[in-house]
Amino acid sequence: MSRIVARELTLAYEDRTVVHELDLAVPDGQVSVIVGPNACGKSTTLRALGRLLKPRGGSVLLDGTELARIPTRKIAQSIGLLPQSPVAPEAITVADLVSRGRQPHQHWWQQWSDEDERAVTDAMERTDVTALADRSVDELSGGQRQRVWIAMALAQETDLLLLDEPTTFLDIAHQVEVLDLVRRLNHDQGRTVVIVLHDLNQAARYADHLVAMKAGRIVAEGRPGEVVTAELVREVFGLESVVVPDPVTGSPLVVPGAPYRPGSSP
Amino acid sequence: MTTALKEAPESVAGADGIRPAGYTRVRIGRASFLLHRRAAAMAGALAVALAAVCVAYLSVGESFVPPSEVLKVLLGQPAANELVVGTLRLPRMVVGLLVGLAFGIAGALIQTVARNPLASPDIIGISQGASALTVGAMTFGVTSYTVLPYLSVAGGIVAAALVYVFAWRGGLHATRFVLIGIGFAIALRSITTLFLTKGDYLVAQQAQVWMTGSLNGRGWDSAAPLGWLLLALVPAVLWAAYAQRTVSMDDDTATALGVRLGRVRLGLVLLGVVLASVATGAAGPVDFVALLAPQIARRMTRTAQIPLLCSALMGAVIVVLADLLARRLLSPTELPVGVLTAAVGAPYLIWLIVRGRTGRTAGGKA
Repeated sequence: MSRIVARELTLAYEDRTVVHELDLAVPDGQVSVIVGPNACGKSTTLRALGRLLKPRGGSVLLDGTELARIPTRKIAQSIGLLPQSPVAPEAITVADLVSRGRQPHQHWWQQWSDEDERAVTDAMERTDVTALADRSVDELSGGQRQRVWIAMALAQETDLLLLDEPTTFLDIAHQVEVLDLVRRLNHDQGRTVVIVLHDLNQAARYADHLVAMKAGRIVAEGRPGEVVTAELVREVFGLESVVVPDPVTGSPLVVPGAPYRPGSSP
Repeated sequence: MTTALKEAPESVAGADGIRPAGYTRVRIGRASFLLHRRAAAMAGALAVALAAVCVAYLSVGESFVPPSEVLKVLLGQPAANELVVGTLRLPRMVVGLLVGLAFGIAGALIQTVARNPLASPDIIGISQGASALTVGAMTFGVTSYTVLPYLSVAGGIVAAALVYVFAWRGGLHATRFVLIGIGFAIALRSITTLFLTKGDYLVAQQAQVWMTGSLNGRGWDSAAPLGWLLLALVPAVLWAAYAQRTVSMDDDTATALGVRLGRVRLGLVLLGVVLASVATGAAGPVDFVALLAPQIARRMTRTAQIPLLCSALMGAVIVVLADLLARRLLSPTELPVGVLTAAVGAPYLIWLIVRGRTGRTAGGKA
């Protein structure tokens, strides 16, 4: 089952078409990872799934209705989206930022319900940022800040969560931490998650459903174990590699071909 | 009993739930409002300060009237200085107060939408648009102070509309909005200069005073329309105070949270432009008030967005205080109030730019 579906989706910036007639059904209750080289249209696709970008052609359907026909506030009650580099208001505190996630559930006459308080408290506990509540977002480390942003998206309490490269700018430990968090959320709450990543190995480790894109088209999709092969890596990334089972998870692990060494033939 | 014991920790957790720091919840039935404690306290303090400045304004002058007498006049009791306080000083003070309130809110709204402390109506062309049309009309022989304010409002709104249209490219980009505004401000200023040089000498002199922003000779005929208009805009300002919170995020995040950014921004800018234009119509472009008030207010309250009420009160304090000084510094000569606000505002602007550049690279976004 798929609550969110892209049909013959064509996306463009000005005159440049970035995504060509893409069909995608996001499996409910799973972690889908869209992966591909730079400029393959993966982030653009995610933006369209979250109605940040209007399709040039085709459509994105939420529960069978075109996104363009649903009020943006209504969409925000079903789809949460964390952009690649969100900007927080200057000097905002962590608790204040996370509470902004309640926006789609609030009105001018209902600025803070018990439900809001419960959702924010819960989101902050899950992302382990409760202790930071009164700190200013400006003074946090990259990893902490990313957890705060995810907490904000969680506080929105949507069934669908779209994350655009949530691990960029983070060191490896924080990358793993964030991706583990996402998996746990998916497992504990059954939320549908779509993540854009550019690291194929991370994608293979964390995805239930892997979508490989190249030049605005889907090249392959399915379970990582079935999709990730040396041929796919060559086709999508143009890289010679060996694919071996990950010693920890057993998921496919891509090992690039031998690095350059002085004296060896090119 | 056991169930009650079991539930106890949960209800405690509920009571201790996380709330944005510094806010108090005010509940009225199902309705709930978030009140920033520090902002509320500052608003109270500013209101007291404003009242003090107003009494001082009415006391000090060519002849000194003791504050007790001033209060008597304000309360409508018979007093000896009825004429000086009630007829000469009071209307002018009320105009200054209203102009300050309007500029304070206008600056806050425009700075919020542009996400830039530089984006104030006197920097991005709104005041210049008002000036150009007003001075143009003056040189063509329109001198009636009942007509000129309306032209000023029209000029400000047209200038703002042009800036908005030129800055629009499938969305409103904050930096482009400010830069195009500054460009328009320069262009409009040269048009104004053209009118001044073409026009009659006496008219030019009169226009020059208006352009500096002056409360000289303002009476109830200026105060009344301004007061009614501000009163009519109160619901819009209340909406703005709430909506402001929703546009302080970046575009993508705000949209993802279900905010109709285009509409909300247009609404906020429109309100800001109307307020700034109306204030300019009444007193001329009193420079830097709209720039200063919101930033000072924000530093006082340390809120994530500019506090509207504090900004409005701050604007009023600045204008009334500046006009008091303008009246007395070189007495008997009365300076235009804009000279005083500019003397304080210009160095602040330079400081803002110098600090902003280093702050931006150090703070970064990411």
